[in-house]
This record gives sequence, C-alpha cells and structure tokens, in this order.
Amino acid sequence: MNWDWGAVADFMPHFWDGLLVTLQALVLGSLISFALGLVWALLMRVPTRWVTWPVGIVTEFVRNTPLLVQLFFLYYVLPEWGLTFSALTTGVFAIGLHYSTYTMQVYRAGIEAVPVGQWEAATALNLPLRRTWTVVILPQAIRRVVPALGNYVIAMLKDTPMLMAITVLDMMGEARLFSQQTFRFTEPLTVIGVAFILISYLASVLLRTLERRLVR
Amino acid sequence: MSGPTRRSLLAGVAAVGALGTAGCSRVATASSTEGGDLLGRLKAQGVVRLGIAGEIPFGYIDTDGELTGEAPELARVIFKRLGVDRVQPVPTEFGSLIPGLNSQQFDVVAAGMYVNPERCAEVIFADPDYQMLDAFIVRKGNPKGLHDYKDVVEKNAKFATGTGYAEIGYAVEAGYKESDILIVPDQVAGLNAVEAGRVDVFAGTALTTREVVKNSGKAESTEPFRPIVDGKPHVDGGAFAFRPTETKLRDAFNVELHKLKESGELLRILRPFGFTRAEMTDLTAKELCGG
Repeated sequence: MNWDWGAVADFMPHFWDGLLVTLQALVLGSLISFALGLVWALLMRVPTRWVTWPVGIVTEFVRNTPLLVQLFFLYYVLPEWGLTFSALTTGVFAIGLHYSTYTMQVYRAGIEAVPVGQWEAATALNLPLRRTWTVVILPQAIRRVVPALGNYVIAMLKDTPMLMAITVLDMMGEARLFSQQTFRFTEPLTVIGVAFILISYLASVLLRTLERRLVR
Repeated sequence: MSGPTRRSLLAGVAAVGALGTAGCSRVATASSTEGGDLLGRLKAQGVVRLGIAGEIPFGYIDTDGELTGEAPELARVIFKRLGVDRVQPVPTEFGSLIPGLNSQQFDVVAAGMYVNPERCAEVIFADPDYQMLDAFIVRKGNPKGLHDYKDVVEKNAKFATGTGYAEIGYAVEAGYKESDILIVPDQVAGLNAVEAGRVDVFAGTALTTREVVKNSGKAESTEPFRPIVDGKPHVDGGAFAFRPTETKLRDAFNVELHKLKESGELLRILRPFGFTRAEMTDLTAKELCGG
C-alpha cells in the first residue's frame, strides 16, 4: 500500500465536482423530504379513510422497499412509460420521496406530542382550523422534532453514494470513475471518506446549535 | 481468578492482529518465483477463475445460467490443453476487471478486453484473439447522422459509453469534453439511455452494439468504423489479460493460442458469437501496447 500525493492532486478537481453534486442532492433531497413528509403527516390526519388508506399504503410501500430498487425503477423503467428525467433529478426525487416516508412519522410524533390542552384552548378561542394548525400546533410540533429530522439529514448524506448506480457523478461516482481510469483506489476513496466524516460532523454541529436555539 | 486478565487479552488481540497481517501478506504477494507459478497452482486446483463483464458476445452468462461467450469458450479450449479442466466465471463490471485481476479476485480476464497502453501498464496481455472496429448505438434512422467520433463532436450530440471503456479516450481524442460524457454501467444501460433520449449515441465495439440492439424497436447500431488514435485510423485487438507477474502462464497461453490460429480452429470457436474472418488478426499485444 503506497500513498501518492500526486494522485490526490489529480483527483481534487473531480472531487470538487462530486462534492457539489453530493451537496445538491443532500440539500434538495432534504427539502423535498421535509416538505413531503409534512404533507403525508397532515393527510394521515384527515378524518376519512378515503384519504388515509391510500396515503398509508403508498407511504408504507415506499418505506418498505429499498432505495436502490426505487432508484433503478425511476431511472430505467419510467422512461419506458414516456417519463424521462435527468439522473440527478431522478436521484434527488427518489431520496426525497424515500426519506419523506420516514419524516412523516417524525412529524406525526411531534404533532401527537402537543398537549391536548393546546387543542382545547384553540377550540375555546374559536380559532379557525387553519390558524390552529399554523400558529398553535405546528410551531410546537416542529420545534420538538428538529433533532430527529437532523438525524435523517445525516442518514441521507450517507445514502447519496447510491446515486452512483444511476450514473450520477457524486463524490463516490467521481472517485470510482477516477479509480477505473487510473487504477488507483486508495487515494480517491480515502479523500471522499474524510469528506463524508467532515460533512456529517459539520452537519451535526449545525443541527445541535439549531436545536439549542429552538428548545430553550 | 476467573475471566481473562488484561495481559492475556492483549496477547489475544496481538495474535489476531498477527493472523490478520499474515492473511494479508499471503494475498499481496502474487508469486515469489520468477515468471509466476500460477499455472502450476491452477493445474493442481483443476479450475481457473475467469473475470467476465457480462458483455454479449465476449463473456456472459446465458439464459440457461451457463458461462459462454467468445473469451470463455476460447479459455475452455486453451486451459484444457494447458491441463486445467474447469473454468469458473467471476462476473463483475467492465471497469472492475483490471483492479479485480490485480487484487486476486480471479486469475484471468476473459472479457475480450481491448489492448491499449494504459491497460498494459497495469496488466500483461496475451496476443489478441480478434480485431474489432467501433460502432454506435443511435435512435432508429440515425436522426443526427452520427457515423464516427468527429460527427459526435461537430453535431453536439450527447455521448455515452461504458465504465472503463477504451471509447472514452477515442471520444476525448476527437475533441469531446470528458466531463460531458455520460458513463453508464454496461451496454444495456447504454441502450436504455439512447432509447430514453438521455443521450444521442452510445459507443462500444461493433459486435456489442450489434448484439444489444437486436431486440430493440427504438434503436439501431451504425456501420462499424475505425476510431482515430494519435491521428491515425486504429484497429483494436481484444485479448486475455494476466497479472504482470504471471509471464509464464501468459507465454504458455500464447503458444496454444497461436496453434489455434494456425489450424483455423480459432475461427471455428468464435464463429457462433458473430465473429467472421474479418475479425481474425495477426496483431500482437506488443504492437498494441505501443512498444
């Protein structure tokens, strides 16, 4: 095993390209999963089976099938039905959709943890349903679940290398491409390994700060 | 006193560590004797592991689950003559063939791999068992009129090829921007990319592209052509690859290969896979490695 700094230097331009793609996938995937998860959570509270059952079935299905299979399906099968998206778009959507089925449970827990007295108070004040949700329930619920959502951001970061399977050149994809052309594996894989540690550490520090400010 | 003491625990950890390093070093040293002793070991085992890339018609597992293809069938014949009775496939991605060979995942690359200088720096090749031109997969009717790498650049076509393929270099030589190339895992994913409209063209060997479009209603393969390398039209040759230390095995393999070429048996073995007299070659690995 010999370490060649020259190979690291050669890899760095590819690394920055890959880093950008990884961060794009992470940020956009997180936003989709946060938004979509909230939608699922709210739909599950609609008091009719006509809504809760279909939503329940779809989200259970997505949560219980592997992300990799979903990626392959969205990238290779959908085009046969005339729906073609770029690799990165497909990847971002797949990660966002997959993780939204987890975050919906996080939101559900947060909403259920709001004391029932808050609901009663809102009713007593004759607040309309919309105001009850937007100014009473959700602000309290979301504040409670920020740490749990943060965990999923880090889990998503660690799942981004899967996008390599659908030709997205994230950090992992760039590292592999570089390795296959130069036959050097140690340097590029070590570099992205270190990068993953740094990004997840920074993300967790950021989230801890956010947590401290929200939960006083 | 019951339970392990700290000292015995340390000794145990050290022993495991020593075992681990012993295990590693066994894998790391390919062979100690000059020219390698792999052939002797293969004879003793009676089986040789072939690295294949699942590429029709070069080396693949057929619908009955049997290993076949140009290279594995040829390997069967040659290794039998060398005294190794059985071949065992190790399927992997094309781009992982050379790293896999060098990390001892298999003994020989039997994927009809093109011989080129970059690869010669990593492995040693037998003499080519066939020669081959490139061809493109394009949408039916070739709407952009793409016939070689120059067309791809001039007409701003979106270009794809496989991981670790020699075609990456040919496209770059023609002036295509390397970071714009879509790299797909294999030729089937390449066909899919063309059909789905993600790219305009996928480049591969003439035989690969011809085979993979057979069942496609939306794509076709173009006429085979010569890629330009160092300003000159180039013919590629595909060969078996061995670890750099195993020159003895490679030389023995070459001897049998040349016998098959002279007797015309080679063509008989390769013909079922779409090879013709035009693909038979006298090129040597040395020429293709660039000296």
